[in-house]
Amino acid sequence: MSFRNSITIVASPRPRVGKTLLARLLTDFYSQEGRPVAAFDLNSGEHTLVQFLPERVVTANIRDINGQMALFDRLVADDDATKVIDLGHESFEPFFAVAHQIGFVEEARRRSLAIAILFVVTPDQTSVEAYRNLRTRFSQATLAPVHNELLGPAQHRDKYLLAGGGAVMVHLPVLAPGLRRHIDKPPFSFASSNMGNAVGIPLDSHIELQRWLRKIYLEFRELDLRILLADLQSSIRIQSQST
Amino acid sequence: MARPAVILVGADKGGVGKTTVARTLVDYFGAHQTPTRAFDTESPRGTLKRFHPELTEVVDVTSVSDQMKIFDTLGSADAKVTVIDVRAGLLSSTLQALSEIGFLESAKKGQITFAVFHILGPSIASLEEIAETARTVGDANYFLVKNFINNTTFFEWDPATYNSYFKKIKGAEEITIPKLNEMAYEQVEVASVPFVSFVGNKGAKGEAANYSFVLRGYVRHWLGNVWGEFDRVKLVDMVSPKMESNVRQVAG
Repeated sequence: MSFRNSITIVASPRPRVGKTLLARLLTDFYSQEGRPVAAFDLNSGEHTLVQFLPERVVTANIRDINGQMALFDRLVADDDATKVIDLGHESFEPFFAVAHQIGFVEEARRRSLAIAILFVVTPDQTSVEAYRNLRTRFSQATLAPVHNELLGPAQHRDKYLLAGGGAVMVHLPVLAPGLRRHIDKPPFSFASSNMGNAVGIPLDSHIELQRWLRKIYLEFRELDLRILLADLQSSIRIQSQST
Repeated sequence: MARPAVILVGADKGGVGKTTVARTLVDYFGAHQTPTRAFDTESPRGTLKRFHPELTEVVDVTSVSDQMKIFDTLGSADAKVTVIDVRAGLLSSTLQALSEIGFLESAKKGQITFAVFHILGPSIASLEEIAETARTVGDANYFLVKNFINNTTFFEWDPATYNSYFKKIKGAEEITIPKLNEMAYEQVEVASVPFVSFVGNKGAKGEAANYSFVLRGYVRHWLGNVWGEFDRVKLVDMVSPKMESNVRQVAG
């Protein structure tokens, strides 16, 4: 089997750990790679993904069956879009509970869709246990811990074991303090056409921002390639076994 | 040759999900590759027949000619298992008729495997029905089925009362059918296909269908739980001791 497309879920049971920033970067990364992206926002409140990228993001909820159908049926649909999900901390448990019950990961794999869960790691026990839970419940998904360097050094990283094909720890580097205000006001896209104009961003800040962005995109590209490679290796193994 | 098995699915009241349970049974034996036929007693138009048209025949269980159609063919039919969906209120009289034609006698002698699935309703009236039918069934495998599929606030009776009835039947076992999401249940109704086909995204003739993945997921999960109950009471061993058991995977 080789993957046709991917579904990336940005998750953490904690609020304010950088999930939405990560989801914004991922959405823009895939756009820049020339892939059609559909992103789903499962947050409530201010400054959520849909406000930053209104054109490519739809809001979703999984409180009732209609919401669940709108989200999950679309996720596994045969539409050639790369999907990104920004899972608010309140939706963490309900989302994975439904996903587990309906066999979401298995269905996605049957349809040649790679599932990657990007889990923003924090030292608290709740997160460590939630992560361990995901590993057992979704053994077929790629589970990649994300170290948001803004949250301090990741001394707790050994509690987050890599799981699934191609998993690697993803680093989200710190953006210089003065630059945050340039990117924190929605709507905002990192995609080059917007950033190229650098509206209201001084040149040196702009260069710094681009450098930061390149580092992150490199991390994303690395993860993507590793997932593809793991998939390739397993299919080669299957072929050599059958011949 | 394996001895034939007859499973009676009945209730004294309508609307307790009798046919739903019969459908899960037909699917269950299908998944175990056990040839199965079904009789629907809701003549002239049966619900079970709508879901399993190829396996199901509509009969009038009170008529002698239809009784012959069912019971005289037990030994000769290809099907090992016969599931009979007994119309509401006819359980006692059907059992009475079975006793008169000597069927219960053969079951007692072990020539036929006989099981009764008694679907319980929410009221105490159906408990009195248990006491009544219990006298007739004798040594049959008797299953009391609590069906939660459509309603979560179903069993609110006093457990002591329930247990006193429950104990009256020697060797009776309890089966619980869990709740299925209403919309998922409704969509299977609309599609008019077996649960297994719905899960496998197939239409009535095996053609590819386009059901919601979420609803299929819910049905698969639910059906897995129901079959888990059938596994727990060793239903497969009962109808055919040699058969491989524990087929839990619903589809794919």
